Amino acid sequence: MKLVVNGKPVEVSVPADTPLLWALREEVGLTGTKYGCGRALCGACTVHVDGAPKRSCVTACGDVADKPIITIEGLAENDVLHPVQQAWLEENVPQCGYCQAGQIMTAVALLKARPQPTDDDIDAAMSANLCRCGTYPRIRKAVHRAAELLAKGGSK
Amino acid sequence: MTDWSRRGFLQGVLVGSGALVLAACGGGGQELRIQHADATGELTANLYITVLPSGRIALIVNKAEIGQGVATGYATLVADEIGVPIDHVDVELAGSNKEMRKGGLQITGGSTSTADAYIPLRHAAASARDMLIAAAAAQWHVPASQCRAEGGFVVHGNDKLAFGELTRAAARMPVPEKPRLKTPAEFTLIGKTNRRVDIRGKIDGSAHFGIDVSVPDMVNAYAIHGPVFGAKPTQVRADAAKRRPGVIDVIAFDWGVAIVADKFWQARAAAADVEVTWDKGDAAGLDTAELAKALRTHDGDGTSMHDKGDAKGAIEHGDVKVGGVYEAPYLAHAPLEPNNATAHVVDDKAEIWAPSQSPTIAQAFVAEALGIDMDDVTVHVTLCGGGFGRRAIGDACAQAAQISRHVKRPVKLTWTRESDMTQAWYRPIYAVRAEGAVRGGAVAGVRTRVLSQSIPLSGKTTFGAALSGLPGPLAHLFEDAALALFSTSSVGDIFAAEGLSNSPYTFANFEVTADPVRTKLPVSFWRSVGNSVTGFVMEGLVDELAVAAKQDPFALRRAILPPASKQRRVLDAVEKLSKWSEPLPAGRARGLARHMAFGTEVAQVAEVELEGNRIKVRRVYCVVDCGLIVNPDIVKAQMESAVIFGLSAALDQEITLVDGVVQQRNFDAFPALRMFEVPEIIVQALPSEDKPSGIGEPGLPPIAPAVANALFRLTGVRLRRLPLQRAWNERGAA
Repeated sequence: MKLVVNGKPVEVSVPADTPLLWALREEVGLTGTKYGCGRALCGACTVHVDGAPKRSCVTACGDVADKPIITIEGLAENDVLHPVQQAWLEENVPQCGYCQAGQIMTAVALLKARPQPTDDDIDAAMSANLCRCGTYPRIRKAVHRAAELLAKGGSK
Repeated sequence: MTDWSRRGFLQGVLVGSGALVLAACGGGGQELRIQHADATGELTANLYITVLPSGRIALIVNKAEIGQGVATGYATLVADEIGVPIDHVDVELAGSNKEMRKGGLQITGGSTSTADAYIPLRHAAASARDMLIAAAAAQWHVPASQCRAEGGFVVHGNDKLAFGELTRAAARMPVPEKPRLKTPAEFTLIGKTNRRVDIRGKIDGSAHFGIDVSVPDMVNAYAIHGPVFGAKPTQVRADAAKRRPGVIDVIAFDWGVAIVADKFWQARAAAADVEVTWDKGDAAGLDTAELAKALRTHDGDGTSMHDKGDAKGAIEHGDVKVGGVYEAPYLAHAPLEPNNATAHVVDDKAEIWAPSQSPTIAQAFVAEALGIDMDDVTVHVTLCGGGFGRRAIGDACAQAAQISRHVKRPVKLTWTRESDMTQAWYRPIYAVRAEGAVRGGAVAGVRTRVLSQSIPLSGKTTFGAALSGLPGPLAHLFEDAALALFSTSSVGDIFAAEGLSNSPYTFANFEVTADPVRTKLPVSFWRSVGNSVTGFVMEGLVDELAVAAKQDPFALRRAILPPASKQRRVLDAVEKLSKWSEPLPAGRARGLARHMAFGTEVAQVAEVELEGNRIKVRRVYCVVDCGLIVNPDIVKAQMESAVIFGLSAALDQEITLVDGVVQQRNFDAFPALRMFEVPEIIVQALPSEDKPSGIGEPGLPPIAPAVANALFRLTGVRLRRLPLQRAWNERGAA
């Protein structure tokens, strides 16, 4: 079947019920999307399908064939970080870093839906993603900072 | 992977006993250094630091980067001392290397990394710097004392030479035995930079963790572990699974069943077609409710760990007696990257790639599993997706190695979250009987009796078993080294009573005893180890004493802490920071706790409310004294991290077993704090010129008692059992 990942079509031969997570990691070769729980509990595997955040560990490849999929590797353009990534950098967010791809993908989707999120909006969206290192206070700041960067840049 | 040959030539030449080998390259060392420099343009000053022809510094970090920021901390120390911008340092993580062991082990734990490296690593950098300076001075025919190193150049008046131009000449210079180290007043980066060197890869998806390892010809394995810890498969039906596309083999081992396939998704899918019958398992019959009850009601005084004055008599003659049994459950570490390892075994040699906190322990596990020599196991260390102590254990490495030997290919073994949580080498279960009394408004005496499942004894049975194939002295060395590294004293069951037996409180009458508990469930190091419980015990009891003495918790603590101590300084600071004396909104209360772990003093004030029945921690003030601060933002980050990690455990987490079966298999049953429940955390790190002490763990012990003490002030209910939410829900029930 055909997956469209970060704007590029990729032919993968996996059964339709294979989780998108493993197809991305093992067939497409993009390992930035992480396995954490396998049951949509931790958010480490979050990618965008049709612009909406999806837990790729419980998303069957057959359900997303031909739909646009964006992973963490698809956010930066020509090595220029996405404003959300830039905000993550400026706020020194990551510790171990394992959950951050999922955190960033969830934040990007949040900011698309709510360009000026309140703390309640951030709680509602970002509580889907676990971080065992406890980077949450910085994630909150970084989401606010990203909103400012996006407002200034007006892109993405 | 990293090119290990580059600095490998120095191994066996530099002979040293410390983790940081800095010995001068006498004899053949210098000759080899010159040959290497002439061939490559690299100045390999020592085992850790190489100056590249580009002028960049290649730094080998002999610690696991588990998120605690050691890569940045070490890069900061080196960049400052050698005289380059921090982004001119390229960090590589050290793999297994005998020359880099300390006390027999390469290990990351006990919040020791910065303390261990502060002098030796700067010494290593200063030594390289002085060789570069000597080379430039010789070229200019000026005294070295008139030259300095800064910004990647050696400078003399208006002359300057880039480090990269000096490497060949510097290799010919003698290695200074005692290079001058900068004084804190001269630091340009230490204490002044908040940069982290490893962020970019962690936000663009390019950082490689153990789970991302790929080696040529590699296949993938999915493990099925038994329902009970230590259960062995007695029968495996896998005919249908073996016929699935991509599946290479289904293999039974003592520890479970491995499904090997070209791709992990193929192995995972095939698991549906594998039927396993298990034996009873090592932990059969273990029931945590019964165990906790037995510990709670156990009578007996235990082995003395600390005895001062007459605590028993003082308590008997007290005006008001307080205390009870403080309890804490087993806990999993649950780092977000599940346990994994990649192994390639050829004949009697094994190569391992793993997110490991201890390449030496990984070597020991693999050597034992394969029946080969530890020296024939090479471990490459990857980034770790969290650690918290879990990654000191080499179980996945051993399993991957056994699978690789069987299929004769490199294999990456990725555990499921369910395996990670049910096979975790947990934080030990505890029950601590704590008693105290006040007399005439002052503390008369304190007694604590610790019952906990012993890590050293667990080590003897489990680590010991893992090492039984090895020569006895090595097993002893391993145990002793582990004990020495993780503890603050060296007698008895040190982990069990750490934080009590070495308490800075100056009770006139103070007794600590401990009795080890044994079960078949292995236990190990969990962030802050014994302190994760003893802080809860002592700070709860001290709060009880303050209430009994009708004293403010700050005033009472001042009376039992040494004057002019680090403890008093931190206490004063947190009182001010938290505005302790100012009123709070109705329905909110504050609690105070402090604890010293691994040389670092932390005090916290938690502001707590109840939302229905839910304990809500709204704000945490945290003051830390960790000696000299290398990277202020990382100190702050580690305090935030420990508060949040500790709060997850304090409020909600526990591992329970029913007839040997772990009841929590994923994050639904073993919840971790999420964004909406994270308190505001205000951190203040006190400036200090003392030698740095640890920051990864010491922020954890005070949070549980701070919350429990706040809850007491809010409700009048004293909770002595973790997790607090369950204790609150079950309050009043016997």
